Amino acid sequence: MRELAGKLLRMDRRVIFILIALATLIPLLRPIGFPIRISPEVKRVYDYIESLPPGSVFLLSLDFDPASKPELYPMAVALLNHAFKRDLRVIGMTLWVTGTGMAEKVVSGIANEYGKRRGVDYTFLGYSPGGTNVIINMGQDLAAAFPTDHYGERTADLPVMRGVTSLRQVNYVVSLAAGTPGVESWYVYGKEKYGFELGGGVTAVIAPGLYPFLDTGQINGLIGGLRGAAEYETLVGLKGKAVAGMDAQSATHFVIIGLIVLCNLFYFLTPRIGLRTLPGTRSGSSESR
Amino acid sequence: MATSVLIGAWVAAGLTLCMFSFLYKDNPFFRFGEHLYVGISMGYTIVRIYYDVMVKSLYAPVTQEGKWWFLIAAVLGLLVLTRFIPKISWLSRISFAVIVGFGSGVAIPRIISSNILQQVQGTLRPLLGNNGQSLFGMAQLNALLILTGVVTVLVYFFFSIEHKGPIRGMARIGIYFLMINFGAGFGYTVMARMSLLIGRFDDLILFGSREYGYASLVLLGMISFGLFMWERGRTRTEPPPD
Repeated sequence: MRELAGKLLRMDRRVIFILIALATLIPLLRPIGFPIRISPEVKRVYDYIESLPPGSVFLLSLDFDPASKPELYPMAVALLNHAFKRDLRVIGMTLWVTGTGMAEKVVSGIANEYGKRRGVDYTFLGYSPGGTNVIINMGQDLAAAFPTDHYGERTADLPVMRGVTSLRQVNYVVSLAAGTPGVESWYVYGKEKYGFELGGGVTAVIAPGLYPFLDTGQINGLIGGLRGAAEYETLVGLKGKAVAGMDAQSATHFVIIGLIVLCNLFYFLTPRIGLRTLPGTRSGSSESR
Repeated sequence: MATSVLIGAWVAAGLTLCMFSFLYKDNPFFRFGEHLYVGISMGYTIVRIYYDVMVKSLYAPVTQEGKWWFLIAAVLGLLVLTRFIPKISWLSRISFAVIVGFGSGVAIPRIISSNILQQVQGTLRPLLGNNGQSLFGMAQLNALLILTGVVTVLVYFFFSIEHKGPIRGMARIGIYFLMINFGAGFGYTVMARMSLLIGRFDDLILFGSREYGYASLVLLGMISFGLFMWERGRTRTEPPPD
């Protein structure tokens, strides 16, 4: 027991990398199909979009860059599929300059799949500088914040923007955010003042910080991380990248939980059998470090 | 398949593998990928800012719509650059004064309203009964837990009085709430990092298919061979450790 514990405590960190790689790779190659339970906060975003009549204005702010693509891109795909299926007027935009190209690609890509016409059924406004100030500006005069869309067309002349002069006329805003500016900025500088309904889709890192906003009703729903994206894909009946990644996510979590349990077990066992002084362990002799 | 897509796939797979090579140890492949990433993201940002800011938000409104007052903002922006000329660097303070003054004026009332007042309201409202609901339901129990957490954590960070007696007990409970919060945060962070890994593996699997000329497999072999040669070269040139 002592030798085994000693070996495990001295284990090369690269063994853990290999374990995690295998736990990720195997389920991606051979999917298991773990069930996906829909959480109420994700369902609320879905239900709200379902409740909007065709022709309602849906603004999707893609506030992330390629570094957060694996988590937020599937959310964007699922939300856009849902919005176009419901025949909503879709306005895409971004507050993150490095995400502009990717955001344009997903909005126009999904729109093409549904045969939607640019400028008539949807538009992509692109990026405008100023972060949170852009939201304030959009609340006052949307065409002032974005005089032209990403393609150089005058925003005020676009049929898709008919009757939309500010954020007050937008029926639902969803911010897919990897940080600031993001969901919180949209709430603080947008929703509270201009009164539109707001939902959020965020990376798992920032999701816990947004639950207080969800509990108080400051945001009406929250899609958190790849898990949230998989739930939304399930709701819209899409077999996307998030659903495909959930088995791998579960498998890696099992491995990590196993390693944490094992390390804690040895940690609590070591005072009795003196493992903490083994060479190579953190509390071991200095020459072994 | 279009040649540009194929080239893109090979570049993406190669750079992903270069970055993953850091898991072995710091090496030239990783440094190449790292420097390329920094350079490209900076270049992309400059190009986008040129078109979206300088052209769309400044040049076009001034020259086509006659909005000359946009030039005031442009001058204020240029004044920031005087930081690089010590003799006139004081001019940048004008811009910073505007930024700080405007930023604070806009942010403070909004933050107080949404992050403090509404949060306090949201914490207390369920405990006071809402829309004729029972005062002893699960929602109230949750609200009570949240209220206990808020109060005890605030007590923990209250350093004006010594933590002893009942204050010590409350601060202790506050620590447990903080620990649970850190645990949840760590769990979510692990989930996020794993999602990123899954995203990259997903692409590597796709680019490893026949359609993409087995890009991932070929490049994995090349980088592994490169690492082997680099390691061999290092052991030959570097003196053995004592």
